[in-house]
Amino acid sequence: MLKINKYSFIKNAAVLSLASLSLSLLSTSSSFSDGHIYGENNPVTVKGYKGSKTDSTAYTGQIARQLQHNSLKKIVSNGNPNDPSSNTLNKMMNYFENKDKTKTMAILDPKSSSKFPVKQKIVGEISTGSNLAGKADKRPQLSWPNNMSGSDVIRFMIKKASKISGGVDTRNGMNYPQLISKYTMGAVLYHQACDNYLDEKMTASNKPNNKPYKKGAAYTGKEHSWDEAFGYWGAAAHTMTLSAKQSYDVAKKKDLKAADFNKDGVVDLYKEMTYGHAYYASAFDKGGKTNYLKTVTKAFIDGRKIITAADGNKLSSSDLTKVQDLAQEICSNWAQVISEAVHKYAGSVYKDLIAVEKALSSGSGMEKAMSKYLKHWGELKGFAMALQSGVENKSDTFNRLNRMMGFGPLMPNLSQVVGIDSSGNYLKDQGSSIGYYKLHMIKIQKLMAKEYALKSRSNDVTGGMASLIETLGTKKSAEND
Amino acid sequence: MDFEVLNFIPDNFINPQKRIFLGYLLSGFLIAFLWLYCFRKYTLINSLKLIFDKKVYFSKSSFVDYSLYVFNSLIMIIFSPILLSQIVIATFIFEFMYAQNIIEPISINYLSIFLPIIFTICFFIVDDFSKFLVHMLMHKIKFFWCFHKIHHSAEVLTPMTVFRTHPIEGVIFVLRNAISQGAVIGIFYFISSGELSLVTVLGANLFSFIFHLLGSNLRHSHISISYGKIVEKFLISPAQHQIHHSVEKKHHDKNFGVTFAIWDYFFNTLVYSQSNQKIKYGLSDKENFSRNNIFKIYLFPIIECCTLIFNSIFKSFKIIYTYSLNLKPHKLNKNNKVIQNENS
Repeated sequence: MLKINKYSFIKNAAVLSLASLSLSLLSTSSSFSDGHIYGENNPVTVKGYKGSKTDSTAYTGQIARQLQHNSLKKIVSNGNPNDPSSNTLNKMMNYFENKDKTKTMAILDPKSSSKFPVKQKIVGEISTGSNLAGKADKRPQLSWPNNMSGSDVIRFMIKKASKISGGVDTRNGMNYPQLISKYTMGAVLYHQACDNYLDEKMTASNKPNNKPYKKGAAYTGKEHSWDEAFGYWGAAAHTMTLSAKQSYDVAKKKDLKAADFNKDGVVDLYKEMTYGHAYYASAFDKGGKTNYLKTVTKAFIDGRKIITAADGNKLSSSDLTKVQDLAQEICSNWAQVISEAVHKYAGSVYKDLIAVEKALSSGSGMEKAMSKYLKHWGELKGFAMALQSGVENKSDTFNRLNRMMGFGPLMPNLSQVVGIDSSGNYLKDQGSSIGYYKLHMIKIQKLMAKEYALKSRSNDVTGGMASLIETLGTKKSAEND
Repeated sequence: MDFEVLNFIPDNFINPQKRIFLGYLLSGFLIAFLWLYCFRKYTLINSLKLIFDKKVYFSKSSFVDYSLYVFNSLIMIIFSPILLSQIVIATFIFEFMYAQNIIEPISINYLSIFLPIIFTICFFIVDDFSKFLVHMLMHKIKFFWCFHKIHHSAEVLTPMTVFRTHPIEGVIFVLRNAISQGAVIGIFYFISSGELSLVTVLGANLFSFIFHLLGSNLRHSHISISYGKIVEKFLISPAQHQIHHSVEKKHHDKNFGVTFAIWDYFFNTLVYSQSNQKIKYGLSDKENFSRNNIFKIYLFPIIECCTLIFNSIFKSFKIIYTYSLNLKPHKLNKNNKVIQNENS
């Protein structure tokens, strides 16, 4: 009898433990998704809406542009000097500016594979009628010769890239795949989000919340403006459930499990993919010193909650202030992500210049050293130009940044691009010494670290000195000899 | 209450980068024992009795050393963030090196292999010279002596006497380290284009490790180990440093060096040790100074230094005033030239 009682007690305890375990698991999974997924629980709040939609979240045009940018980067390296029909140029231009071809425009990156199957193959499956050119920064770009507008700069680069093998101009030092990609991310994605949707469109009178974004739309002015900015940020909707490393691996197409949030076996490029600056944020965050990805994504989620809670009414002044504060938090962190990239690549360029110097003195390995140097310089310049496409007016910082890196990299023969003539040819002049140019890279790092209070500071050139001093162990103590 | 702040107390004993690392203390005791037992022919018991003489370690003077170790460390924790650090100087020098066009970074691979060892040697030599120089200035300049005499007020010497230091003097040492070490690091970092490392043993600079392992702690001890005249021309022995702490006038301002004796040799301040030397440590009687009161140890040098500064200013004004009394106002003519006094 006693035995039976004992067994039943154990059985009951096991059942109870299992039940409590499943309950706690359930509550965990619900707490993961509850309020942590962008676009979740956003009903239509537009007063008098007559359509059939039940969800007000929409940022399809922005994801289409993310895919156009990704695809454009893929084909920039297909430049061919012996291409009379300008096939590559036309292809690039389609991704850059042709709105009409989106219905048939293939997504070149990410492409579906057995390891990382994606749901959409055509840009038009997500959105039609979007292009990059129409959204590029229209202001004169002081970081590039001749005060061109943002779209003119990208167009100029695309034309140059199409005529050069591999898209890399080794004579003038221009690596167009990097320049075009990094700059486009700034001139279109960052610019639209921080200098338009989270800036002008977050004022009381512009795109108010008590009116639809446009006639017949299922979303209000503020709802859609906020969503569009989120789309440009490039984070997957379920980013808050991922680690920085997972988010990074999703962008790299290495972690299907992390990407496929709805477990349908394919990655929905609209909601489940990491793009653009969100990818760079996760790259820095996985180092453990920063938390840009989640700070920005959470601010987006929190902001959308405030807007949705207004239930289609005008935002109260306190809610508007809260939303504007969140917008500011998003854009300052976003600027930090870009300036972290400038810092990182200035360090890479510094190291590459050492390799170039070694190749010059030893007479071997120049091709490899130059290839790395031009790639990193392209990334450095692209990000530096991107940084200047935001809302911040840091003219002194930007002038110094542009002056120190120049319009082109310092070549081993000490020549450097200083301008562009009326026929679109680069003008070159004698630059500084390699030593001076290296010093400029250090100064760029210091400038970025100071102006943007950077924490990650990858590839910190003078950081090595700090570690060296650490090994000396001479801490500040009152000790005689 | 957060006691993490007191972690430095055990840390200093388990960190090989620190002079009072247990390994160095043990090696010091071992060397002292071998010296007494093998060279001075003391018995085993007498050697140990002398090394671990409780009159030394439990003296009033030693307790002041122990207290200052704790209080100074806490003071430095507060003030160290605002003090000049090596990285500031190193970065400044590093950038300056780029701005000049005379010296260029080394780009030849085979030479850069030797760079860590060259850097380690240079670092140690420059550091040692800076210590000698600043030490000499601490003695020669009255304002500095006000603070440095705290260290010399010790009447017995133990390895902990290095911490018998006024915090102001500690600040001076921090600046010394920042400048000398920062400069070497900045120059070498430039020459090596950032590919620089220090040769270390257990995380400590190779030469510091050797210096400490070979009994640096015996400099501040009652065990008088001499190296012999020839070696003492190059390296400062514990006995030579003990002479530096002597009360006797003839020993004042001698043997400022830490590792190398050559600096003292060049500056004519070198004194060799004597066999069986008996030295009384401390300050001479004319130094009116309370040696065993922590409060007075902290305050007295500041008052003395302020008095010195005030006296200097007062003297300067007095000279100017006296001089101005002897001057008579000049009259100028139409051309703004001084009209000479007819009587003069």
